[in-house]
Amino acid sequence: MGELEVRDLTVEFDSGGYRVRPLDNLSIDAEDGELVVLLGPSGCGKTTLLSCLSGLLKPTEGTIRFQGIEVEALSGSDLGAYRQKTVGVVFQAFNLLASLSARKNVMVPMTLAGVGHKEAVARADALLERVSLSERVTHRPGQMSGGQQQRVAIARALVHDPPLVVADEPTAHLDHIQVEGILVLLRELAAPGRMVIVSTHDDRITHIADRVIELSPQFSTVDAPPEDVDLAAGQVLFEQGDRGDLVYEVLEGSVEIFRQRSDGTEEVLASIGAGNYFGEIGPMLNLPRSASARAETATRLTGMNVRAFRQRFPATVKEARNPVA
Amino acid sequence: MFGITISDLLYRRRQFLIAIFGAGLVFAMTFLLAGLTNGFAVEINQTVTGFHADVWVVKAGSAARVASLTPFSESEVAGVAATPGVTTATPVIVIPQTADRSGTLTQVNMIGAPVGSVPIRQPLTSGTQVSGSGQAVVDQRLGAPLGAEVSVGGHDFRVVGITSDRTMLGGIPNMYVPLANAQAAVFQGAPIISAVVVTGSPSTVPTGLSTFTNQQIEAGSLQQMATAVSSINNSKLFMWVIAAVIVASLVYVTALERTRDFAVLKALGASSGKLYLGLAFQAVLVALIAALIAVVLAQFMTGIFAQPVDYPTSAYISLPLSAIVVGLLASLIALRRAVGADPAKAFAG
Repeated sequence: MGELEVRDLTVEFDSGGYRVRPLDNLSIDAEDGELVVLLGPSGCGKTTLLSCLSGLLKPTEGTIRFQGIEVEALSGSDLGAYRQKTVGVVFQAFNLLASLSARKNVMVPMTLAGVGHKEAVARADALLERVSLSERVTHRPGQMSGGQQQRVAIARALVHDPPLVVADEPTAHLDHIQVEGILVLLRELAAPGRMVIVSTHDDRITHIADRVIELSPQFSTVDAPPEDVDLAAGQVLFEQGDRGDLVYEVLEGSVEIFRQRSDGTEEVLASIGAGNYFGEIGPMLNLPRSASARAETATRLTGMNVRAFRQRFPATVKEARNPVA
Repeated sequence: MFGITISDLLYRRRQFLIAIFGAGLVFAMTFLLAGLTNGFAVEINQTVTGFHADVWVVKAGSAARVASLTPFSESEVAGVAATPGVTTATPVIVIPQTADRSGTLTQVNMIGAPVGSVPIRQPLTSGTQVSGSGQAVVDQRLGAPLGAEVSVGGHDFRVVGITSDRTMLGGIPNMYVPLANAQAAVFQGAPIISAVVVTGSPSTVPTGLSTFTNQQIEAGSLQQMATAVSSINNSKLFMWVIAAVIVASLVYVTALERTRDFAVLKALGASSGKLYLGLAFQAVLVALIAALIAVVLAQFMTGIFAQPVDYPTSAYISLPLSAIVVGLLASLIALRRAVGADPAKAFAG
């Protein structure tokens, strides 16, 4: 069993009245001392996973075990202790308090944990020195560059010397010089006794990682030929939230595109008749299906990969579909 | 948490100063109004005390209102003076009149008493006591200088002395004149009086008369101002609401601006209770500083009203206590923001 073990993790929630499932039966492992990079485009569930690992979001299903602690089962003071002492979080937008100096920002977790003032000041100064910001201890975020703010955020995450540090897109708002400094710092932090998990859509970071976990599946049907699919009336082809790599053209019959609302009802978006296509956005942009598809009548479809789709339909994906009359 | 709260307050000091100043002005008005209502009681007390009476002998059935006692014959004074236990018995007239100063009409409380008697001798700020017919000692609020001519009921008086803190019924100045002059001006010379001011402890009073203590006279006289006091108290209440709205607006806007901060603080280990306490602390601090400014401002605002303003000691205690209540109530508006902050939103980009 690894230090971090995630099994069949599913997160589903309501977003704008629709059910969204950013994580669907995800399983990953990681070991102590590793720099783990979560790679994937926006919307693939990286931030959701980090939220679950840091105890800020309860998954719908599945388990998270870190150093033998079942994170999803924690509650009350145990959950509070896990958040405070076991995991340090580096947020994407730094999330420093604008009214506090660098020193006071780093002191916040200690202040909230009841650590004495002198001890908190000494620890904060030591951490700021470690991230090379000794000369900025009295500066507010507005007086620091993005890279400096991110260093303060990292120092804050290290306050309780946690065995797990999660960083959400830590280089997102930085120029390339600042990015280099942050990456070097994160690489140094990952050592025996501490695991560092970084989420990013920038695959350049993978070169310094001990383990790379891709949250978007690599499809193996890139060069597969189109395949015909027969559906009976009412049969569902794919569901909202599913991962898929095929675009479908209706040969006979019609397909209803619908979304499930969070109250359980359905909203029909379109009806696709013969000669028209659907389901192109997910495979083209590597995103989960944003709606479900169901045959209205006995229907025959052709499922094709993205390359075949582009050859079959050279027009842009913004071309309007013609609903069945 | 309070350190974080103070830092945030200093960071947004411009917003807070505006709210403090606004709430401070409103608190100052409530403080001023408290001084106004207290002033009614103080001026009546000072006027009544100035008679140096132990007992007031009035016509039976008269209301205990110093400026509207039922008139009765001066012939009753002898009977009162002869009552066992009476040391002195001095006839007085107390009656509102209109004074004419060179065409300018002003309300006065005409107080007539025998020349040289205690009720007519008031502490002076300038001039001399009334020593003969046609003379008057007036309160400085009349605005008449020494030597000025004041006409009441067609009779002329010359101001020989100025007194202070001698007003009634909302700053109406008292005018002390010889009894005979008052009778001539008000009752066409008829020997009629309002009361007999007695020193000593009369065991009984002649038939047809009754007695009041100073406290009864003061309480009854203040009752005349009951409608005004009620209106002022309602206005005070409304102003407390305005002050609460000002502080609540500030707290709400602050909470809106700090929504992300709340999520981050929760993600870092703060409880909803601690977040709310921080907001409540800010609101109470704003209200208390506003109360302090109000007390200072109010000292310079007494000239707004023609009536005397006398700040009671209780107002210095009730104002900060009320400010704390205002702050706590105002902070409730942000309670939902603090409690509802989702720490997972700290991850939002």
